[in-house]
Amino acid sequence: MKHTRTLAVAASVAVAALALSGCSGSDAGGDENVLRLWHYEGADSAMGIAWAEAIEVFEEETGATVEFEEKSFEQIRSTASQVLNSDEAPDLLEYNKGNATAGLLSSEGLLTPLDDVVDEYGWGDQLAPALQTTAKYDEDGVMGSGSWYGVPNYGEFVQVYYNKDAFAEAGVEVPTTLAEFEDVMATFADQGVTPLAESAAEYPLGQLWYQLALGEADRQFVNDYQLYENPIDWSGDEISTATETVKDWVDAGYISTDASGLKAEDAGVGFISGDAPIFYSGSWWYGRFVNEITDFEWGTFLFPEAELSPGSAGNMWVVPERAKNKELAYEFIDITMRPEIQALLGNNGGVPVAADEADITDEKSQELIANFNALNDMDGISFYPDWPTPTFYDELNAGLQELVNGTKSPSEVQQQLGEQYQSGVDDIVG
Amino acid sequence: MSTIIEELDPERRDVELPTDAAPAPAALTPRSGTRPRRRRTGKRTPGDWLVLVIAIVLGFFIAVPFLLILVNSFKSPADYNTSGPLALPTEFYVDGLVAFWERVNFPEKLWNSVFISGLVAVFAVLISMFNAFALGIGRVKGRLWIVVLILLANMLPQEVLLYPLYFMFKEAGLYDSQWAVIIIFTVIQSAFGTYLLASVYSTFPKELLEAASLDGASRWQILWRVVYPISRPTLSVLLIFFFIWTWNEFLIPLTFLVSNATQTVPVAITVLQGDRLMDVTTTSASALLGLIPTLVFFLIFQRTLTRGITAGAVK
Repeated sequence: MKHTRTLAVAASVAVAALALSGCSGSDAGGDENVLRLWHYEGADSAMGIAWAEAIEVFEEETGATVEFEEKSFEQIRSTASQVLNSDEAPDLLEYNKGNATAGLLSSEGLLTPLDDVVDEYGWGDQLAPALQTTAKYDEDGVMGSGSWYGVPNYGEFVQVYYNKDAFAEAGVEVPTTLAEFEDVMATFADQGVTPLAESAAEYPLGQLWYQLALGEADRQFVNDYQLYENPIDWSGDEISTATETVKDWVDAGYISTDASGLKAEDAGVGFISGDAPIFYSGSWWYGRFVNEITDFEWGTFLFPEAELSPGSAGNMWVVPERAKNKELAYEFIDITMRPEIQALLGNNGGVPVAADEADITDEKSQELIANFNALNDMDGISFYPDWPTPTFYDELNAGLQELVNGTKSPSEVQQQLGEQYQSGVDDIVG
Repeated sequence: MSTIIEELDPERRDVELPTDAAPAPAALTPRSGTRPRRRRTGKRTPGDWLVLVIAIVLGFFIAVPFLLILVNSFKSPADYNTSGPLALPTEFYVDGLVAFWERVNFPEKLWNSVFISGLVAVFAVLISMFNAFALGIGRVKGRLWIVVLILLANMLPQEVLLYPLYFMFKEAGLYDSQWAVIIIFTVIQSAFGTYLLASVYSTFPKELLEAASLDGASRWQILWRVVYPISRPTLSVLLIFFFIWTWNEFLIPLTFLVSNATQTVPVAITVLQGDRLMDVTTTSASALLGLIPTLVFFLIFQRTLTRGITAGAVK
């Protein structure tokens, strides 16, 4: 009899569920005065705060209402092409920049070309040239040229975070040249401290390797590497300096051999806990460090002697081709580009693309944004090492892991990476 | 105590009875305690111990992820940064749980998950039973191939099904509707259910069926009056499995439930995973919240589950 009851309970729950929910279909509205907006930034993040303010300003000025949904990065990443091809497409969404994401969707005709709107509102003048690279895609979906398909609202770049207390204790100053930087690390290594928090299982070491290559490079190298303008010499000065320097730093104890198994999170936590005094990584850590580092003072500087550094515009606003209220979407983008919204973004730990430095009141944020603006003034934003091909992220990490482990020599690693890079690029360029 | 002494010593030799009760149990323990223990240890061979040790080690490894989630859910980010994932929390920190609960409107997601999984479980069991009645008891021609065909729904990876399903449901106007997910999983789960039940029903005693038809029962009556009551334990087990399997599904709900208001718990959890950063403690807290409902469901129906596996035989 017990079983009857179990099944009966389950069945009645189901029936009740049916009755209660009624019709739970959705209502994708083409309502005149509604802007359907999606993004995936947390409500407490710099972008979340700034855009919440932008929503209020927008509703006040236009009289339209904003139907905002916070999406997950994962959901937009894996389902965007399906959603944007349906009636459920929002009017405006934050989407990932890059050939495999925004590039692919633009080549499929799912995104609205924004050339006229960019001219009308003048967004092109507000964005530094390197930041525009990820906003433009040609008919094959390759970034760097062609029509505007997105408008970046924030930037990101890679810099050096350092533990001020540990520097003072070791009696070292902020280095201004690469030689001084190595001296600082040697001082720590002599005291038995591994100076660099590193991770070779994920992006951090790859970005350091790229930074070291950029030290020998010029803008043309970046264009060759990222936009395939000319073939890359994988045994040339740029690459071999980078690979050999990483090897030297591992041998000298500046980078722990344990790094080959560590993830970015581990490296970041290594810096937060004070175990490692230096962490070379992106501005995306900044907000977290502000909140979670309480035991010591810390600061940032651009990589010594660097005129080029990894970085890019952040993810950007795109308008789906099937959006119903495109005009409202353009107006909203324009509000997020205003100095006051950009300043709000900057004061909360973000990196605004069009802020006036004078509007930034938060002292720590000033340092961050000054670094970013300095880099932009040098036209130094150089994107990321894994961008050229869809598989190069894993290949680069695997190669550097072998370098750190000592299972391959620098020249072997370079040769392997060169072949993988070239075969990936050949697939794209054809 | 006195009754025991009476039993042991019916003549009640008071002189030897100690005023303090303590020695008496002490004297009794060896007799009542050691002998059974010795008997039990005598039965355990080194092989038994080995099996026990292996079981404990296995159990530990199975429990490790859950224990890690539990430990990290109640840890503050600062605590996590200083002591790492393995240490016990220094304070009882529930902000992560609360933050996740509020950020995704957890009760709504919980209801969506219960609604979808519950309906799928009931519908899929019902369809499985009808199919299996036809295939296992009705002995339709070519039933092996029908079962193989039905099982394809289970054997194909969901990634392969995704795009065809997407276009079908978009045409049908059910994209971004929970009914799309309910229909898909009812089909997928009932494919497995049909396969399992059909083989259970093919061993169904003929005498019972013949007796029923001799009594003048129609096929419908045979199904509901004879087959259904006897196979009820198996059906309950299927119901529970379907519920839990559907609950844990991720890819198809992620694709079909576009609006936040329709999403399930596993989809809601992904909101915490960012582009480059992850929040370990809040992610743990969300995993814990996502896990508790299935755990509770399992504990409630656990007795049915064990009984269903052992039962199924005809009295």
